[in-house]
Amino acid sequence: MKRRTFLGGTIAAAVVGRTSGVVAEQPPIKIGMSMAQTGGLAGGGKASQLGIEIWRDDVNAKGGLLGRKVELIVYDDKSSASETPAIYSKLLDVDKVDLLFAPYATVPTAPLMPLVKQRGLLLMGNFSFQVNSKVGHDMWFNNAPWGPADSWAAAFLDLGQKAGGKTMALLAADQEFAQNLAVTAKAVAKKLNMSVVFDQAYPPNTVEFSGILRALNAAKPDIVYVASYPPDSAGILRAVNEIGVGDNVKIFGGGMVGLQFAAVMENLGSLLNGVVNYNTWLPEPNMYFDGTKAFFDAYTPRAKEAKVDPLGYYLAPFGYASGQLVEQAIKAVGSLDQKAIAKYLHGNEHKTIVGPIAFSADGERKDTATLMAQFRGIKDKNVEQFRSPGKQVILFPERLKSGELITPFEAART
Amino acid sequence: MNRNSIAFWIGAGLFLVVVALLPQLIRNEYPFFAAYVILQFIVLSVAWSILGGYAGYVNFGTSAFFGVGVYTAVFLFKATGAPLAVQLAAAAAVGALLGFAVGLLTLRMQGIFFSIATIALTIVIETSVTNWRFVGGAAGIQMQRPAVMAPFDGYVQMLVFVQALLVVLAIVIARYMQSSWIGRGLQALKDDELAAECTGVPTLRLKVLACVISGALMCAAGAPAAMYLQYADPSSAFNLNYSVSVLAMSLIGGTAHWAGPVIGAILLGTTQQLLTVTISSEVNLLVLGIMLVVFVVAAPEGLIGLIRKASRKRAEREA
Repeated sequence: MKRRTFLGGTIAAAVVGRTSGVVAEQPPIKIGMSMAQTGGLAGGGKASQLGIEIWRDDVNAKGGLLGRKVELIVYDDKSSASETPAIYSKLLDVDKVDLLFAPYATVPTAPLMPLVKQRGLLLMGNFSFQVNSKVGHDMWFNNAPWGPADSWAAAFLDLGQKAGGKTMALLAADQEFAQNLAVTAKAVAKKLNMSVVFDQAYPPNTVEFSGILRALNAAKPDIVYVASYPPDSAGILRAVNEIGVGDNVKIFGGGMVGLQFAAVMENLGSLLNGVVNYNTWLPEPNMYFDGTKAFFDAYTPRAKEAKVDPLGYYLAPFGYASGQLVEQAIKAVGSLDQKAIAKYLHGNEHKTIVGPIAFSADGERKDTATLMAQFRGIKDKNVEQFRSPGKQVILFPERLKSGELITPFEAART
Repeated sequence: MNRNSIAFWIGAGLFLVVVALLPQLIRNEYPFFAAYVILQFIVLSVAWSILGGYAGYVNFGTSAFFGVGVYTAVFLFKATGAPLAVQLAAAAAVGALLGFAVGLLTLRMQGIFFSIATIALTIVIETSVTNWRFVGGAAGIQMQRPAVMAPFDGYVQMLVFVQALLVVLAIVIARYMQSSWIGRGLQALKDDELAAECTGVPTLRLKVLACVISGALMCAAGAPAAMYLQYADPSSAFNLNYSVSVLAMSLIGGTAHWAGPVIGAILLGTTQQLLTVTISSEVNLLVLGIMLVVFVVAAPEGLIGLIRKASRKRAEREA
């Protein structure tokens, strides 16, 4: 080897070494969010965060984004709306994060919407419900499968109507989410020419439902649409178990929050049978997309370790999908320019572990992918049974369907 | 005016000047968000201790007053687009009325029963607001802030100044009450209501007055929160957390002197803000809990009690 070649080679190697050193030393891409670690939403918040963390680990194992590692900065918002403005201001002004993810659920997210709109920032939503409808921010994207506001009630009532239902009873908690559902349910019922024969809002923290249920039975509805929170969902199903709902009820459930969480499902066991309720992901054959199985293989042991929801179907894969959405967008636009990322997210369909996602102008899903599923053959005190297919049969949407509705409700309960 | 008073007024003036100038010095918005929360707790704690500290009526209804303040502002903003000053004044007036009603409660209820009644008050009002569709009902309501007023260039900076004004107002009132016949009368009825009445202290009038002032201040502290969050929902506005935090702040600081709740609110409020952005998990609840227990055991009269004890000892030593 000539001396000059040797020298050149050495210099070249040194330069390359130096540059690769620079790449490795590049600051990480910081993604900031608050997440409920304490308070009423903590159960969901922790599972959702674990999903996002699994994405971070996966993307970092693949070398990061734009050659930079991804770092998450997460603060506890105590499930409260009053904490999030200060936290997000800290994330933006002190931590100087590159991207924002929203906290889990509607209430902690709501105060952020004016903030991100005023500052022109992209916000990746996390299971909020219609939080952008009045604000109209064009850089908001919800990871939840809700879709158009009325699709939720429409799916359930449509199933009921196909089963021969003509009248509806509405039982809803007097709280934010349940009331949103109740309002859309009434509008959809009107559209479907369905008469509402019973309409009851009950105060939060109600534990005894037998009186309300007797009044509901007296109205002899064909369809019972319930919008409830975890403690009342359990209370309502216990009351149904005690006094029944009559043979005329074709379909029961719809918007019962809590029946997606492993602890509640394990606790209720066979009382769940027959209920048709919303869900977001279920271990049915049509629900596995590229990477879904690998995600749950990673989630299950980590959930055990972190003591969060052992099944994690409801929120965790969507947290991962949020990561996938920004990952694809950043790769496609080749920068962290939020306007370009938003434009890309609006203009394309994205492959995620929860299926293809396309956004409409308001940042919600173009088409609903909210599942309506019927509990079947559930036994008491066994959380592992929910891992096998056939326990929650998907009736809607058509493209993900895994079975037909068993009706009337009383027949499906056994 | 004695030397103490002059120092107090100069201090208050300086404080307001510094708060007004801060936006020029600090470009970063986060300190203002954090300061807003701490100042809000100072107003609430000082207001709480007017009734709870001076008169000994433990009020668990701070969240009721705070929430009423929030929703008065929300209602006015939605109905008439009223400016912040009007929202504040109206909230104070509504708070005074609510305080008057609570004051009348003290006619029949004392001690633990009064405290329970104030918790009930929170629940009753929260349920009513939950069912009031005009202000968003259970789903809450989102609002867009109007343009910021000169000389401020940011809305949060302006809200911090407004809250600082409320802090000064609350402290001035508390300080006046403490050193006047009102404070002495309240002190007397705290020790023994019957004996105070027998010696000619107008107990009912004093209690109602304390309730009215305390209520008006708490509601006024709540009013800017609507514009701070640009969102209001019953479960956040009437969160029992406000009642508990304010109680803890007053107890940790000490309730015998107006400075007690101020010190308590600064200490606990700052700790809460720091923990939120540092430990940020269940552990921060534990830290707060431990702090409370330690103070209750080691300093039952709060930090003010400790300071007084120390200065008394020093005086004895010097004598």
